[in-house]
Amino acid sequence: MNEEKRKVLEMLSQGKITVEEADKLLAAINEPSGESAAAAGGKRQWKYLRVLVEPGPGSENNDKVNVRIPFKLIRAGLKFAAFIPREYQGKVDEALKEKGLNVDLSKITPEDLEDLVSNLDDMTVEVDGKDKVRVFCE
Amino acid sequence: MFPFWLRLKVSKPGQRGFRLWFPVILIWIILAALLIALFPLMLLAALVTWRRGPGKLLILLYPMLTAVLWNLSGLHIEAKDDENDVLIDFA
Repeated sequence: MNEEKRKVLEMLSQGKITVEEADKLLAAINEPSGESAAAAGGKRQWKYLRVLVEPGPGSENNDKVNVRIPFKLIRAGLKFAAFIPREYQGKVDEALKEKGLNVDLSKITPEDLEDLVSNLDDMTVEVDGKDKVRVFCE
Repeated sequence: MFPFWLRLKVSKPGQRGFRLWFPVILIWIILAALLIALFPLMLLAALVTWRRGPGKLLILLYPMLTAVLWNLSGLHIEAKDDENDVLIDFA
């Protein structure tokens, strides 16, 4: 217990302040300062996208995957999508559709890609099955 | 920044396998020399194909390639199963 909280409780026990006043004072002490609150509320800059695959409890194999991809590399690499010739973009779209991804590559702009990557850091995926899969940012 | 080292490991369970610490900076030096040598040809190709579209992309190829290589540092890929253990790490 810090000194400020002790003083508030002493004042309460001596009857100098009411319970409501003590409650308000304690709440004010526990409240983070302006600077630290801003830091806590601000979006953290993650550096890496991690993919971990480990054998689950019922797994028969010992397959393990541990991948760490820098976000800057993802950003730089996605720009290479512009190099896919237009005549092949349709084939890529069809292949993606077969896998369940209904995406039109020709309509994706660099701004879309930037939005996609910048929002990846909010993503955490955990799958518990035969294998334990975790996708997260660090 | 550019990665300086490539750590490569390919092994099988119970065996030492193949381990390599490779100074990739050597590759970057050779690649930079190659890119500089090819720059006039790239510029010519970009100018010739400018109207059809690919020229603009060719101009962007150099900075985009540099961006990818620059940000390779920190890439870590490790995969292991019953038969193989593979590690690729740029540091």
